[in-house]
Amino acid sequence: MTRWFGISFATTAIALAAGCEGATPATTAKPGLRVAVIAKASDNPVFLSARTGAEAAAKELSQKHGIPVEIGWLTPAKEDGQVQAQRIAQAVNEGFNAVLISCSDAGKVNGAINDAVDRGVPVMTFDSDAPESKRFAFYGVDDIKTGEAVMNELAAQMGGKGPIAILAGNQNAPNLRKRVEGVKQAATKYPGITIVDTFYHVETPQDAAAEVIRVQNAYPQLRGWAMIGGWPLFTPTLLTDLDPARTKIVSVDALPPELAYVEKGLAPVLLAQPTYLWGYVSVQRIFDKVQLKQDVPQIIPMELVRVTKDNLGTWARQLRDWGFSDVPAAYLNMK
Amino acid sequence: MIRRALASSQLGLVLVIVLLGTILTISAGSHVDPRSGLEINSFLNSYTLIQTATDASFFAIMAVGATLVIIAGGIDLSVGSIYALAGVAAAMVLRAMGPMDSLATFAVGAGVALGVGLVCGTFNGLMVVGLKVHPFIITLGTMWILRGIAFVTSEAQSILLPGSLTAVAKASLGLGAALYPVPMLVMLAVTACGSVYLGGTVMGRHIFAVGGNEEASRFAGLRIGRIKTGVFVLSGLLAGLAAFIGASFYGSASSADGTGYELYVIASAVVGGASLSGGKGSAVSAMLGALLIVLIRQSIRTLHFDQNYEWIIIGSAVVIAVVLDQASARFTARRLARGTGR
Repeated sequence: MTRWFGISFATTAIALAAGCEGATPATTAKPGLRVAVIAKASDNPVFLSARTGAEAAAKELSQKHGIPVEIGWLTPAKEDGQVQAQRIAQAVNEGFNAVLISCSDAGKVNGAINDAVDRGVPVMTFDSDAPESKRFAFYGVDDIKTGEAVMNELAAQMGGKGPIAILAGNQNAPNLRKRVEGVKQAATKYPGITIVDTFYHVETPQDAAAEVIRVQNAYPQLRGWAMIGGWPLFTPTLLTDLDPARTKIVSVDALPPELAYVEKGLAPVLLAQPTYLWGYVSVQRIFDKVQLKQDVPQIIPMELVRVTKDNLGTWARQLRDWGFSDVPAAYLNMK
Repeated sequence: MIRRALASSQLGLVLVIVLLGTILTISAGSHVDPRSGLEINSFLNSYTLIQTATDASFFAIMAVGATLVIIAGGIDLSVGSIYALAGVAAAMVLRAMGPMDSLATFAVGAGVALGVGLVCGTFNGLMVVGLKVHPFIITLGTMWILRGIAFVTSEAQSILLPGSLTAVAKASLGLGAALYPVPMLVMLAVTACGSVYLGGTVMGRHIFAVGGNEEASRFAGLRIGRIKTGVFVLSGLLAGLAAFIGASFYGSASSADGTGYELYVIASAVVGGASLSGGKGSAVSAMLGALLIVLIRQSIRTLHFDQNYEWIIIGSAVVIAVVLDQASARFTARRLARGTGR
């Protein structure tokens, strides 16, 4: 029996200790809007900024309309479509009024989304869609066009010629596969550009940077990288390992750690997804749909922001205003 | 009989689950069910209870198999990868065969998933016995190999399964809309079979004997190699079954499925009382262990704790529980030794 008392003791003690820091009290039924946010993984900074945006929108809407809006962060610690499906069901069981999700695997969550809608809980997707489900709206970039934009920018930086590689993250993610498709489609317009291969990797900064260095060693002739996500640029490693005079990078995303790559000229162009708006805009649209009973378009396009040396300061200040606390002061003072 | 019941490990685990459930019921608050318009407890409602059992069922089915391996003194790190490969293989075969009637779809899907599990388990068992290498090493290798095969063959795509399979896995069986008890029932059936196998058959007793003292078992004439291979076969088979139920329930399979599940499965078996040195464990306790782990995860959300603490809480609960159990065992052994000395 000791084992079970041990489990009981440990669970209760640690849960209470954890709860002291981050808990909000369990709620009883009350009017208002509770939105469960289920991003792909809670260790990815882009989703943390989406959370910040969602919470900011909730605060603003609460003040403006006098209706309490609460955000519940139900994102799995690591990417797992099955766990996301479970979290959707849990959100419905726990009385959330709406679900906002970025799908790791649309096939896995379609059923759970449909169940939630059938039980009266509307679902909206952001970043990565589940178009065959009963979700009422999607907010995010067009992934094919994003891939094309990455390739077009890279071709411009390289003068339309030279061998390049595609860095592609997790091969299971449907949105990333579409971006790769977009890069390849656009590359056909540039006969001088050759794609040596597409490289997939674990989506952590260290794994991504290690993959870039491995590929660079294997293909010393490489002159460009089309990165459909900015994973390796979250570390400063490539600033010293790659020569800006020889190699050019164009990447999706422009979060604070990546800005140094713009300044040094290694990544002259970053195509930023305003990830804060994933949460901010989506929660507003959910409020429109659920509380104000307004029609919401099925597809809400997100525009990419082109970040270069010319607007580095403006972008840095925008990031700071969106709640990023790690924006280097040097960039905040730039034009 | 009452003393025996009180001393049983299952009762202790059931009490902990009931205690945790009571805390959650009291603390969870309530909400208005959007369909019925009635105010219901946020934990103690049929949706949450069945959902919790469903979430546990995939781990629990595999944990019963893993418990057999652990009782025999081994370990199987490859169950998560077998889960992925079996699901992907079933989905690919069904896609290749095209539309079929429901019965044929079910038979082919189940046959492929269970068959792949069986083959993988047999491969593990033969490698462990034939090469005389520790199962940790063999299954560590096959964990990567099998996931790699799933990755390459599926081209990392998520492959949809026919809707008729999902309809079976999500049959409400008359309980009402959005209540899906099938995975839970399969879990209970597997646990019952595992319990009967371990406690009521000669083969089951042989597994305990081999795990308890392999040398003595050899001298007693038991066929060690066959028994060891057998437990890996059953572990693989149950991983295949879990994959079939999981892929059918969620409607798709991909090579990323089941990543890290081996650790939840082993934790379920250990929390359920299985000894990693062999000779101890039970199917019912493994299932209860899986339920408890999922309940801990559930409680983090139901009580609105910061869910980033999930791994810390589960890991600490497992470690502290096992340490306390070992301390208790040492204390009991010392007390018995003192009694004998006197």
